[in-house]
Parts: sequence; structure tokens; C-alpha cells
Amino acid sequence: MKRTVVAALTAILALVMVAAPATAYDKSSPAAGLPPVLKVGTEGVYSPFSYHDPSGKLTGFDIDVMNAIGKKLGVQVQYVETPWDSMFAALGAQRFDVVANEVTFNDERNGLYDLSDPYVETTGVVVVADDNSTIKSLADLKGKKTAENLTSNWSEVAKGAGATIVGVDGMTEALANLRQGRVDALVNDKLAIQNYLATTKNPGVKVVAQTDDVSRSVLAARKGSGYLPQLNSAIAALKADGTLTSIYDKYFTAKVAAPTTWELVRNNAWPMLRATITNTIPLTIISFAIGLVIALVVGLARMSSQPVVTGLARLYISVIRGTPLLVQLFIIFYALPQLGIKINPFPAAIIAFSLNVGGYAAEIIRSAVQSLPRGQWEAASTIGMNYATTLRRVILPQAARTAVPPLSNTLISLVKDTSLASTILVVELLRQAQIAAAPTFQFFAMYGVAALYYWVICLALSAVQSRTETRLNRFVAA
Amino acid sequence: MGDPLVLMKDVNKHFGDLHVLQDINLGVDKGEVVIVIGPSGSGKSTLCRTINRLETFESGTITIDGRPLPEEGKALAELRADVGMVFQSFNLFAHKTILENVTLGPVKVRKMSKADADKHAIALLERVGVAHQADKYPAQLSGGQQQRVAIARSLAMNPKVMLFDEPTSALDPEMINEVLDVMVELAKEGMTMVVVTHEMGFARKAANRVVFMADGQIREQSTPEDFFTHPTSDRAKDFLGKILTH
Ligand SMILES: Nc1ncnc2c1ncn2[C@@H]1O[C@H](COP(=O)(O)OP(=O)(O)OP(=O)(O)O)[C@@H](O)[C@H]1O
Ligand SMILES: [Mg+2]
Repeated sequence: MKRTVVAALTAILALVMVAAPATAYDKSSPAAGLPPVLKVGTEGVYSPFSYHDPSGKLTGFDIDVMNAIGKKLGVQVQYVETPWDSMFAALGAQRFDVVANEVTFNDERNGLYDLSDPYVETTGVVVVADDNSTIKSLADLKGKKTAENLTSNWSEVAKGAGATIVGVDGMTEALANLRQGRVDALVNDKLAIQNYLATTKNPGVKVVAQTDDVSRSVLAARKGSGYLPQLNSAIAALKADGTLTSIYDKYFTAKVAAPTTWELVRNNAWPMLRATITNTIPLTIISFAIGLVIALVVGLARMSSQPVVTGLARLYISVIRGTPLLVQLFIIFYALPQLGIKINPFPAAIIAFSLNVGGYAAEIIRSAVQSLPRGQWEAASTIGMNYATTLRRVILPQAARTAVPPLSNTLISLVKDTSLASTILVVELLRQAQIAAAPTFQFFAMYGVAALYYWVICLALSAVQSRTETRLNRFVAA
Repeated sequence: MGDPLVLMKDVNKHFGDLHVLQDINLGVDKGEVVIVIGPSGSGKSTLCRTINRLETFESGTITIDGRPLPEEGKALAELRADVGMVFQSFNLFAHKTILENVTLGPVKVRKMSKADADKHAIALLERVGVAHQADKYPAQLSGGQQQRVAIARSLAMNPKVMLFDEPTSALDPEMINEVLDVMVELAKEGMTMVVVTHEMGFARKAANRVVFMADGQIREQSTPEDFFTHPTSDRAKDFLGKILTH
């Protein structure tokens, strides 16, 4: 399967790459041989090549091939799940060593990365809804709408045939759009489509044509990795002993039983709850706590009599509120490694969310403090209290009353914003739902469960909020 | 008697172009009760507030018990506690009970034990007549009660001098006397007081001296009796004429 990194990601990274020399990618000097633990980047939501089975285990054609290669070479394989659009950025940032995700060989890519010999060949197919009889070839796509991943080269093929492209995240979403009649066709990988047809009861779509180009799937590593000789010899050996063929048959010929919606919900309710408990909730709590501390410091700095201090606080608030949270996440996770600062997914998410909460809550705290009568400060200072004691004993407890409702809004937003961490490899609730939905097309069930979980958390927080408000309001006359 | 407890020498202050305090010279002896009176905007509050540096001033000196007030920091905080202040708008800590309002300073600033502070606070609240309200919040009390709590809160720091800035002018008429009575008691017990007020009854009963201010200057100083019966300046005559006909 051919794909090219273009568009959105390039644009975002171009903004933040300026400072980093291009050679940052080649920091690892050509090492002889593979590391004992080979880190492999893969999507985990790209069925049937890389996805999670109902028990939550990472599996798929590429995963089986990679496992077989690891075994052949005697290295341990460790997977790092990464969205496709960030795959090569993450490879460059040394988050893993090799990409096993149906990377297609092409010259441009060959110039940028070390590409192995192919382990499978495929071609593109044109897919339409069952009841469509007007599109019979690639040429018929002229003037039609097709759903494609913008950074995949299927999108180029469709565009070349004159189609209008509707950008989607992956093949799963592309097929869903096609079945829902929102697009007329899609162009995608023959293997993937074949697997979909083989594993879905009422696919609702059919293959009407093939593209003429053959594409070869290869493993990709950073330029100068020195991994190629070993990877290539393993691929050759697997071809020779028939392992590749049997893995191929397992995914593209045999009929795999698809789980029912109910089974799926039952199988995934706990993994999703676990992702909520181990990632979504800790992300929220830790980020909010750190964010409040930042907010307090920044909010007070903003009211300082020193113009420099006030200026810095204003700048911080302005930058945080004036840039998308997603961009802040990407800068911390994907851009900082190019300056030599590599932060793991969870702490990176904590940093981004804390800074974000800090910016918003600083203004809440400032306005709450400023809404108190000046006489409160004066009364405190006339009994000899210093700034810190006044703040702690007199001002903040009263400001809390005004600040709690808006801060609760910030907290509730944060719960939902943690879903953005799915884009930087944190397997939180939404990511877990995507993993479950991808191989099965059960979007409604899986995203429905995710929505329910988010909602329940927010309900609980609202309850805590009203109790806190009652408690803080006790000193106000009835 | 030695030096005055509060001594203001050639104090000048501006609010922008407004020369709000002009060459103020004022001494208050220990145990003395000084009333500051004058038309609105004449600078009475500002004078009061510069004494404990709630307002800064540009030139001149102010000393409390011989020590100049430091400009800021810890030393200022310590000295401020020696100067009690009662505001027109009470400024009780709204989130603290009456008892906590009185104990907060002793516990957090003077590092007194909670038990001692409580005992002292109850005694003070009894003295101002609101001990039975100790567990309520300020918003549950009447204005007169709140102002008496504010006085107790100041007294809890054992100040050397107390400043009052129109302590009764935000009160309903029937509550004015309960506050003035407390202040008269304080005066009798020998507290040094600077009181901005137009309450002539209080002035006659408790004051040693009346200071008349107009346009940022001290125009006249005399005993209450002299001031109210034979004011010397035209401004004072004019002013008294206005408030007496009310
Ligand atoms: N923070 C301030 N900034 C600017 N001007 C001020 C400020 N505080 C007071 N003033 C002005 O200074 C002058 C004196 O004010 P001050 O409050 O001392 O008068 P006052 O004699 O207490 O009057 P009142 O009887 O109305 O309380 C007034 O003209 C007032 O408007
Ligand atoms: Mg005044």
C-alpha cells in the first residue's frame, strides 16, 4: 500500500521545524545490526494490517509479519502505536526504529528513509456501494466524490482520475462514509478491501475496478540505520519457507467470524473503562492540579505592579488562549524532540494540558480576586498580615466562591479535551474506542460507550461542583 | 509627657494634580482622643490612611511611638499591627465567623495559641456586646454589631493607637449609639484615638481636641467646646453652620 506524508502534518511541522537542522533525523550514526529490543511503529487501528482483536491484543497482517521477522532475527519486538499522520514524524523523533504499517515503496520515500525489500504486493481497487451501477472504472471517478485519507497516495490516484476528495482519517471511516452514501466511491488497497469483504456479513459495497499500478509494502527505518541487511534477509527467509503465504491466507482468504455488536460492547466495556481509569482520569486530575498552581502564579503575576511581570503573564495567557490545544500538544510531543527534548506520551499530555488549564484558569482567578472589595486587603494589612498570609487566609478563600463555577467549566472541558491525547499515543478512552471500532465498523456502539463514559464523569463532577458551591456559599446571608 | 505617640511632620501627598495633604503637622499624645472634622473631600480619610501607610505620601515624616513607619515589607506589617483601624464599611472577613475574625490576627500574625486567642477574643466580644453572636458569619449581623466586631478585631492586636474613619456613617440611626458607646468606653480606658466623625455628641463627650480640615490643610485645632462654640476660621463657621442646621 502506498502512502505519502503530505499536507496537514507537513504544514504543522514546518512551522516548528525551522529551528532544527535537517540532520536531526540522522543523529543515530549507522549502527551495525538491530537493537536487542526493536521498537516498531504501527497504527493499531488499520484493520486487517494492524489492529486490536476483541481481547484487546494487537494483531494483524503486518504485526504477524513483523513478529515472524523478529523471531527469525532473534530480537524482541515492541510496538508503539501511532496515528498514521504522525508516523514519520515519530520515526524521525526516534520514538521507534522501524515502521511496519503497509508503507509503500516509492522513490521519494526511498530518498528519505531506509526501505526494506517488499513483504507483500498489492494494487488499488475502486469500491462503490452495492447499488451503484454508474462507476465501473477508475476513469468513471471523474467529477465524483471519493473518501480518502489525505496523506495516503490513494488520494492522489483518485485526484488524478478527476475525483473530488473528501478527507477522512482512515479506511474504516472511508468505508463508513461510502456505506452512508456521503461519497460515491473510494480507492483503497486491494488487500484491505478483500479482508473487509471476507469478514463482514453485509458489506454493502463492491469492488468494480483495479488500478494498474502494483505497490510493494516495505518496512521503513531512519536513513542510515544499518538495519536493512538483516531485515531483508529475514524477509527473504520467510518468503522461502512459506511463512508469508500462510500469514497472507490467514487474513485475506479465510473467512473470519465477525463479533456481534453486543459481544463487542461486552468485550470492550472493561478495556475502555480501564483506559478511563488509568489514563483519562489521571490525566484530568494531575493536569488540573498542576494547572491550578500555574494559574495562581500567573493570575497573581498578572496583577503585579511590575510591568515586566505583568507583561510576561499576559503573553503566556495570550499564547495559550490564542493557539489550539491540539497544536500545543503536537509542539510538545512532535516538535520538541527535534530540539533534543523527548518527552513520553503521558507526561507530554500532562504538560500540554497543565499549561492550557493554567492559561485559562489564570484569568478566572484574577477576576475572582479582583472582584473582592479592596477593604478586605486593607483590613488584613491593618492587623499586620503580610501579602502571602492575606492571600491564603482572606483573599483566596473568598475568591474561591466566585471562581468555582467557571473553574468547574474548565475542569469539565478538560475531561473531554483529554481525548486529544489520543493523537499523541496515549491510549485513553477515545483511543481505546477507536481501537475497538476499527476492525469491526461498530462506530455507534464503541463511540456511544465512550460518550457515555465521558458523560458519567462529567455528571459526577457537576455533582461535586454543586456541593462545593453550597459549602462555599455558607457565609453569604440567606 | 514625652513625645507624641503619633507625629506627622510636614506631610504632603498628591492624587495626581490634587494636593490632598498640604504640610500636615499633627501630634497625638498617648491617651489623647483627636477628632478630625471637615467638609467632604477635604482629606480626612487620606490623613487617617497615611498614618498606617494604607496611602503613601511624598514628603514629610510620620512616626509611631518615635519610630518612623517603614515603607514596606515585614517591618511595616509589624508596625501596622500597632495601629488599629476601623473602617466606615466594617470590612469584616466575610468567610470567617465572628470569633475567627477576631482571632485571625493574633493567631496568624502574633502566633498566639488558638486557645489563648479564643479566650482573649471572647472577652473582647463581651466587651463590645456581641459575644453571643460569636459563631455567626458577618453577613448575619446588623451593621452596628458588625462595626463593634471590627473594633474588637482591632483591639485583639493590642494596638497603641486606633484610627476610626467615619465608623458610624454607614449605620442606621438607631445603631449609631451602640457603636459610639463602645468608643466612649475605649476613650475612658485611655486608648489613644484618631476619629474622623461628624458626631458632635461623641466629640463633646470623649474628645480632647478637634482638628478641622479643609482643602487638604489643617485649618483649626482646639477643644471641642471652643471649636463648636467659637470657631475662628470662616471655613469652620461656614461648615458648622451647615451641619448644625441639619
Ligand atoms: N485613591 C484616590 N485616587 C484619587 N483621588 C482620590 C483617591 N482617594 C481620595 N481621592 C480624592 O482625594 C480627596 C480627599 O479624599 P478623602 O477621602 O481623604 O476626603 P474626605 O475628607 O475623607 O471626604 P469624605 O468626607 O467624603 O469621606 C477627594 O477629592 C478624593 O476625591
Ligand atoms: Mg472620608
